[in-house]
Amino acid sequence: MPISWLLLTLFGLAALGFWLGQTRALKSANGDRKALHSLPSYYGGTVVIWTILPSLTLLIAWLFIQSPVIEGFVVRSLQSETADGDHASSLMMADVRRMAAGLEIISGAKDLEQNIINYSDEGLKNFQDQLSANGIALGSDLTPEILTAAQTYLKLSDTSSFWMNLVVCVVSILGLAFGVFRSNKDFRARNVVERGIMMTLICAASIAILTTAGILLSLIFNTIEFFQLYRPIDFFFGFEWAPSFSGRGGNSLLGVIPLLWGTFYVSLIALLVAVPIGLFSAIYLSEYASKRVRAFAKPLLEVLAGIPTIVYGLFALLTVGPMLMRAFGDETIGLMSGGNAVITAGLVMGIMLIPFVSSLSDDIINAVPQALREGSYGLGATQSETIRQVILPAALPGIVGAILLAASRAIGETMIVVLGAGAAARLSLNPFDAMTTVTAKIVSQLTGDSDFSSPEVLVAFALGTTLFLLTLALNVLALYIVRRYREHYE
Amino acid sequence: MYDASHSDSDVVSREYKISARGVDVFYGDNHAIKEVTADFDDKTVTAFIGPSGCGKSTFLRCINRMNDTIASARVMGEILVDGEDIYDPQVDPVQLRARVGMVFQKPNPFPKSIFDNVAYGPKIHGMARGKAELQDVVESALRRGAIWDEVKDRLDEPGTGLSGGQQQRLCIARAVATEPEILLMDEPCSALDPIATAQIEELIDELRQNYSVVIVTHSMQQAARVSQKTAFFHLGNLVEYDDTGQIFTNPKDPRTESYITGRIG
Repeated sequence: MPISWLLLTLFGLAALGFWLGQTRALKSANGDRKALHSLPSYYGGTVVIWTILPSLTLLIAWLFIQSPVIEGFVVRSLQSETADGDHASSLMMADVRRMAAGLEIISGAKDLEQNIINYSDEGLKNFQDQLSANGIALGSDLTPEILTAAQTYLKLSDTSSFWMNLVVCVVSILGLAFGVFRSNKDFRARNVVERGIMMTLICAASIAILTTAGILLSLIFNTIEFFQLYRPIDFFFGFEWAPSFSGRGGNSLLGVIPLLWGTFYVSLIALLVAVPIGLFSAIYLSEYASKRVRAFAKPLLEVLAGIPTIVYGLFALLTVGPMLMRAFGDETIGLMSGGNAVITAGLVMGIMLIPFVSSLSDDIINAVPQALREGSYGLGATQSETIRQVILPAALPGIVGAILLAASRAIGETMIVVLGAGAAARLSLNPFDAMTTVTAKIVSQLTGDSDFSSPEVLVAFALGTTLFLLTLALNVLALYIVRRYREHYE
Repeated sequence: MYDASHSDSDVVSREYKISARGVDVFYGDNHAIKEVTADFDDKTVTAFIGPSGCGKSTFLRCINRMNDTIASARVMGEILVDGEDIYDPQVDPVQLRARVGMVFQKPNPFPKSIFDNVAYGPKIHGMARGKAELQDVVESALRRGAIWDEVKDRLDEPGTGLSGGQQQRLCIARAVATEPEILLMDEPCSALDPIATAQIEELIDELRQNYSVVIVTHSMQQAARVSQKTAFFHLGNLVEYDDTGQIFTNPKDPRTESYITGRIG
């Protein structure tokens, strides 16, 4: 029975439970709704919770545990025969999984043991051809061991899902019975539903939080592996970025400083563009613009935030780069030697960040109480005096928070840098030089033919972790500042 | 302690400080003030009373053109301050507001230090040359706001850290610091406790020596205590305007009588 059928069964049971719970509760009150503690639908809801929640939790847990357990079993049986290392067994396991899928397609998943395959070389060869005809390619030649393993795998999966279906259904029915049994007029169903809703919300929140932890963990293991191959001190304090892909390890220089400098420089230029323009447009929108202008200018400005960054990258590559070349290139003052430069990426990234800064600042400026404005006007201050001396100081912490959030966006930005700033890791003060950033290098280290055991590839994870921690620190700082600001006006 | 009867006779000056001639105010289509004509004396406390939404705050905000900051508001008619029409295109509303100070319903100190709150107006209008002179201006304003003794040792602390009553007196000091001729107060005590209210009322009585004060209030006792003249507004009309004692003891209009006896409102 596929999962979708199981889910349908569960929901069917839940619907039944809803009706049963409602009916039973009403019956216990002799049909008098006023004698019930809660509305009838709450009794139904309670039964639904009991029917679905435990069984669904069990189902999800089973699905997560099932495949590692089965694979562990299969791998152990394979290893006893081949006695290979970890790496080989994981490759073999991939073949087993593909085989199993193939077996299911070709034989219709049933009667595996009896038909088609005899274990002679010719039979195996035939079978492999049949598999590739169905679009399944194996990593190596088919061996009887792998075939057996695949069959074991299939059989185990089958057994497991049979038991899973059974157990989940039983748990669900038990839950239903329990829920219906408890439905009588004095039962406080409303409070149970309330708690159920709270639990659901908590689950949603914790998934978001756990994912962050998961992302960090997945980075950390590879980072540790990298630092076993490459000295951390050379990574953090190296002034040279020169990975070599030909040799293995040793002769690559993987210093992070030029990349961090590139990131910092590009972000700085981006902020120099975005902060004044964004802030001024926020002030215009919140203080000067009439309601009609605001109603159409604000969404228009926020459209900028919806443009994919790759489009900004193209803008940098095709328009801004050549334009800057015409102005500062060899033909005029010769500062710029190519369209790819820190200034190109910085300008375009700044444009990308304008809606960020303006939208957040606009909200913050609007949150400054009207009473402060009136107080200032009442003392004979003009509008710009009021903004400069009362509103901006009051909104400053919030605006700083907005700028820091924009900065962490700038630091994490990739596509604009790849297309606008070039790929050369360089420590230079000239904004017209090509440079590159941490994110752009992560992409270039991971794309192509990557061998996940060489430091040249693993360095990407170390870069990722560094970047993650950097932006995390910036975000925490920004949130801290924004929160302090909120306490300011209750 | 502020018996209405003894102060009424003090009003001798007939040189009107503020004169309104046929003032109409519209908020969009809403006719908020209808044909108000009245003259207000200098060095007098005038109270505006009336039920909520009767237009008394709106009329108050016409006197320093604060309604200009509301896009949908339109003011028609004439308001003269010292005989000069303040809605004349020649008049700069920003300059006018320096002459006509305002204190609001809720204390609204700026998120700055106590000193900077009071120094704000004088700095904007260039009223003090040098730091020493500014300090003198701030001190005298705080003294006139009757709060100097409470804050003289902590002028650098934020004004938002004071208690509600202190904040309101700080706002009065801030308004006084620009040397206005008229002080408008829009329910200055409605957010304060009785003790703070008593302090502010005492202060208003002192301010009468130097300024013409117009106060909007919901409390008829307060109007009786602090004012010499009282104007009763109802549904945008100025129903009755007379000496405070007269209004409260012998109102001419039946609507006024109903209001002060608590039948409408």
